[in-house]
Amino acid sequence: MTGVQKSKPDPAWRVGVDSGGTFTDVCLVDEASGAIRVWKVPSTPDDPSLAIAGGVIEGLRAAARGTTVSVSYFGHGTTVATNTLIQHRGALTGLITTAGFRDLAEIGRQRRPHLYDLQADKAPVLVPRSLRLEVNERLRHDGRVEQPLDETQVRAAARRLKAAGARAIAVCFLYSYVDSGHERRVRRIVEEEFPEAFVTCSHEVAPEFREYERLSTVLVNAYLGPVMAGYLAGLGPRLAAAGIDVTPHITQSNGGVMSFEAARAQPVRTVLSGPATGVVGALEVGRAAGFSDLITFDMGGTSTDVSLIEGGRPKLAGELEVHGYPLKTPALDIHTVGAGGGSIAYVDAGGLLKVGPRSAGAAPGPVCYGLGNEEATVTDANVVLGTLNPRHLLGGRMAIDRGRAVAAITGLAERLGLDVMATAQGIISVVTANMAKAIRVISVQRGHDPREYTLVAFGGAGPLHAARLARELEIPRVLVPRYPGILCALGLLLSDLKTNYAQTRLMPAAPESLPRMLETFDELERRAIAWFEREEIAPAARTLRRTVDMRYAGQNYELPVAFPDEPNGAALLKALTAGFERAHEQLYGYIAEEEPIQAITFRLEAVGAVRRAELTTHSPATTEVAAARIGERDVWLVETRGFVSCPVYDRERLGPGHRFTGPAVVEQMDATTLLLTGQAAVVDAFLNLIVEVNA
Amino acid sequence: MTTSVDPITVEVIGNALSSIVEEMGETLVRAAYSTNVKERRDSSTCLFDVGGRTLCQAMHIPMHLGSLMGVVEHVTARHPLAEIRAGDVFIGNDAYTGGGTHLPDIVMIEPIFVDGAVVAWASNIAHHADFVDRGHAHIYQEGLRIPPVRLYREGQIQQDVLDLILLNCQVPRERLNDLRAQMAANRQGVQRFQSLCRKHGVALVLAASEALLDYTERLTRAGIATIPPGTYEFEDRFDTDEIPDEKIFRTRIEVKGDEMFLHFESPPQVRAGLNLVWTGLLATVYYALKTLVGPDIPANAGLFRPIHVSAPSGTMLNCVAPAAVNSRTQTCQRVVDLIHGALAPAIPERIIAACNGACVSSTFSGVNPRTGQFYVYLETIGGGSGARATKDGLDGVHVHITNTSNLPVEALEPEYPLVVERYALVDDSGGPGKWRGGLGLVRQIRAEDHDCHAFVHAARRRSAPWGLFGGGEGGRSRIEYSPGVAPPVRAQTFLASGQSVAIITPGAGGYGDPRARDRALVRRDLAEGVISSEVARQIYGLTEVEIASAP
Repeated sequence: MTGVQKSKPDPAWRVGVDSGGTFTDVCLVDEASGAIRVWKVPSTPDDPSLAIAGGVIEGLRAAARGTTVSVSYFGHGTTVATNTLIQHRGALTGLITTAGFRDLAEIGRQRRPHLYDLQADKAPVLVPRSLRLEVNERLRHDGRVEQPLDETQVRAAARRLKAAGARAIAVCFLYSYVDSGHERRVRRIVEEEFPEAFVTCSHEVAPEFREYERLSTVLVNAYLGPVMAGYLAGLGPRLAAAGIDVTPHITQSNGGVMSFEAARAQPVRTVLSGPATGVVGALEVGRAAGFSDLITFDMGGTSTDVSLIEGGRPKLAGELEVHGYPLKTPALDIHTVGAGGGSIAYVDAGGLLKVGPRSAGAAPGPVCYGLGNEEATVTDANVVLGTLNPRHLLGGRMAIDRGRAVAAITGLAERLGLDVMATAQGIISVVTANMAKAIRVISVQRGHDPREYTLVAFGGAGPLHAARLARELEIPRVLVPRYPGILCALGLLLSDLKTNYAQTRLMPAAPESLPRMLETFDELERRAIAWFEREEIAPAARTLRRTVDMRYAGQNYELPVAFPDEPNGAALLKALTAGFERAHEQLYGYIAEEEPIQAITFRLEAVGAVRRAELTTHSPATTEVAAARIGERDVWLVETRGFVSCPVYDRERLGPGHRFTGPAVVEQMDATTLLLTGQAAVVDAFLNLIVEVNA
Repeated sequence: MTTSVDPITVEVIGNALSSIVEEMGETLVRAAYSTNVKERRDSSTCLFDVGGRTLCQAMHIPMHLGSLMGVVEHVTARHPLAEIRAGDVFIGNDAYTGGGTHLPDIVMIEPIFVDGAVVAWASNIAHHADFVDRGHAHIYQEGLRIPPVRLYREGQIQQDVLDLILLNCQVPRERLNDLRAQMAANRQGVQRFQSLCRKHGVALVLAASEALLDYTERLTRAGIATIPPGTYEFEDRFDTDEIPDEKIFRTRIEVKGDEMFLHFESPPQVRAGLNLVWTGLLATVYYALKTLVGPDIPANAGLFRPIHVSAPSGTMLNCVAPAAVNSRTQTCQRVVDLIHGALAPAIPERIIAACNGACVSSTFSGVNPRTGQFYVYLETIGGGSGARATKDGLDGVHVHITNTSNLPVEALEPEYPLVVERYALVDDSGGPGKWRGGLGLVRQIRAEDHDCHAFVHAARRRSAPWGLFGGGEGGRSRIEYSPGVAPPVRAQTFLASGQSVAIITPGAGGYGDPRARDRALVRRDLAEGVISSEVARQIYGLTEVEIASAP
């Protein structure tokens, strides 16, 4: 790798480990040169820490080439929480809750899982009814104690849960976001009676209104607690033995990292750790390249994750539901659809072509792999069209059989009454429509116009489908990072420490509320500062960002508004309400002038900048772009309804300043990029491909 | 296929249409003011073609498919298409002429113009919690009847129309702001449909929409063809707090190849809000059949084509003006029971035992002492869902024709002078069986610092949700007022400060012989308190030793 800058004194490496279901990716960045290396080892699902420690040791050994190296940063993305939830392998959990409401865990919002499917089921309740114990206590919405806490009942409940073999205890009372006194008292009693239990209270994980969503969050946290604690207890020593003596970090759903200690207390914050890391990777790659309004498009074998970044800041999800459980934890607004390279195409009973969500996965994989799958997939369609290399994939490491793919798609074509090529293209059109729909959810539906964004395409299949997707949504530009397949692991090295605090405190957006608003932020800031201290973040590296969720008094869905940094009270209030009205107008198209406005939930995002890997720039290419052209391939394009001879470029040989126009194909080990007619690409100083869609 | 659009374009445009109605639905809920819309999501959004056929409906409330069906015909009957201009917005609610099925459901509909012509309609419906403390002898008692009239004329609000409507509402501020949310939803639908037409061309969008209806029809026919041909009959009882006696409803269903003919017999329409207008009956039938022939078939007009419905007019299941209709969902639920009950012998693996069979409804209203303003709090409460051929029924959910969320306690109490004392599952209310029926719910509400008008009513007070193939009945509904509350008259009474009502909703029927139930499941139900030891012993046949050893 060329083009070095920013030399640093110690020969240290930053290490990011993305532990997935199949592979554990280790990404190493040399602090001195910025060189990036990737090491892939098979995951060890029974004890993921084995593969992590092993992968790190092997990776460092390979990178060091005999010299001694040190690790200056360790970031880790894990699927422990999400897998525990999917497989229902969490701890036996008990609940202590307000008398009269133990069944809320089961009732939820009373809606059924599917409107018309009588066989559909709700997500299983994470705590058996016999371990949902009620105690007498009742608060009112204004904080009034209608019934004091019956501590004798609490003590008895703790003993009963202990006797029943529970390992985790969730505590959730009505209005604990108004006054957490009762919940805090329960924590102390449980800690006395049952010190070995994992205890978690609803006001700690989600101090916001709507009791079911808060209960669901604290139940998931309890359910994951002992599992995460066991996992980290195993991993910590293994990392130490591997020579990592820096504080290890773990990624959370909000795109930031936190210490193992914080993850142990709130494992629920890590359920979207994987996809969130990809978003951070895309954000940083985009930022370096000079783009701050991004739509991230991470297309893998089974699913596609999309999210929106406005002004360099990813959107947080307002409502999050993971595997059927609503969660009130800070998470990036990532929308997932069951559309990937392995998604299976079929003709339904009504004669329409459908794609996914069923997937052939990595094994047996697409028909063209020849490993036993007979149903055509998205990858097969690409092989038939010639957009993917019809002979081999993975830079020649994997031979494929185009004939099998043609045969599978011919079967579909006969049922549709179309020819083979039109059917293959049809599969691409349908999967593109599915993904476009997902992007509409996070853009148009939230009031953002995709025509003002850049699409960052990554994951194994993202670069291949980005051109059509961008055209469908009229997105003017696509950015394909240099390493689309490892953006998640790279993102681990680009994440800041981040935590979010929230407090629901309903008040009118009026002058008399100002002191309470400021006081609320002061309280949140005190918590944030304590956290900065615990995480050992230097004062200069600290950033706080204040927002208020606001609504018209009468609505129940709020819009987040930045809290202005303005010492003058009247001006502050004016800016705040103006911010709300702008957001309302943008989303709903009107302002209700005579209606009073309320502030509901106060949010504080605390960011501790860590020393991050620097993306390095490269000197302009000294070769002609023709030197990167390694051949030609016939690609079937819908625009001409026929095969067109397209130049094929080798991504390895493309350097800064190289330009070329579509139709064209760019191949690299872990991805293929397609350019359509009328699109033009340029390679930037970071070796990203920047594709102008309407060039 | 009747048009020349290729199946891939149809799929692509179909996806776009469904994303339009979903966006409209989100906007409506998020901008709305009333708890019934903003938290309970009692609303739906829909696109119609220019002739009024449903192109796509958002998956909210099945009943609203009927509420919206026919609205375009009602609009164009009064307002010739040639006189309609861009920016006109129509509002209506009348069950007989306004596109609704009961007066609180207010429909708003806006024409979508492309190149100077109407090509489609964006519409939505929201259940406005208003028109309370009324009589229900006939529809004139039930609220303001609004035929489709212009609320906006070429983008200009018709203030006099709005004033007339708001003066007839008991919570006008909430109405106004819910109507604004409905406007915003339609505006979004209009703009998105227009941009779809810009991208693909109007002709292609319309042709694909047509093809989408044909596609739905094919799926529906294929689904019907999987039901063994024959004639199937069923009858069920209907009773609620609003009428003194029990009514018998009957159906006869003929399955002929890929078409179905359903005929319904019921008593003459009654002087209570329990009558069902024709479109309401159709919506219910379409719902019930969609669950059986293809849950994922698109909700558009193609579904209706192979399904033929008849019922004598002037009866409870096909009423004529001026029959009262306010509580018609209670009646709808029984229509679903009839259809499922009739087809159970034909497709036993697909049918589930009777669900709670009610749409237990509670409306509280009065002057809020905290604000001095009149308030209305409406909530319909779920119950058990029927046991299935291979698994238990769902506990405490909304079933069939309705699907609204509950109002969180933490959203209810700050807004209304009411206290929720209990919200729980009802033990022993799930019909016993090899597979157990779902449990009903109990919700107990106390009035605080004011006198509160309460209108609480439920079906399945005397009749019970039936089981299938040896499965037992689910629990019935009960309404228990605290001591001192005056006995309700036609389900209406007053709660003084401190008085409360416990609303207990029905469970659901069981499936198969309870003695064949897995012993481990019986023991689990016993340990969880879902069944009593008496039921475990007498109905499931658990031995004393097994009962004693339950954890």
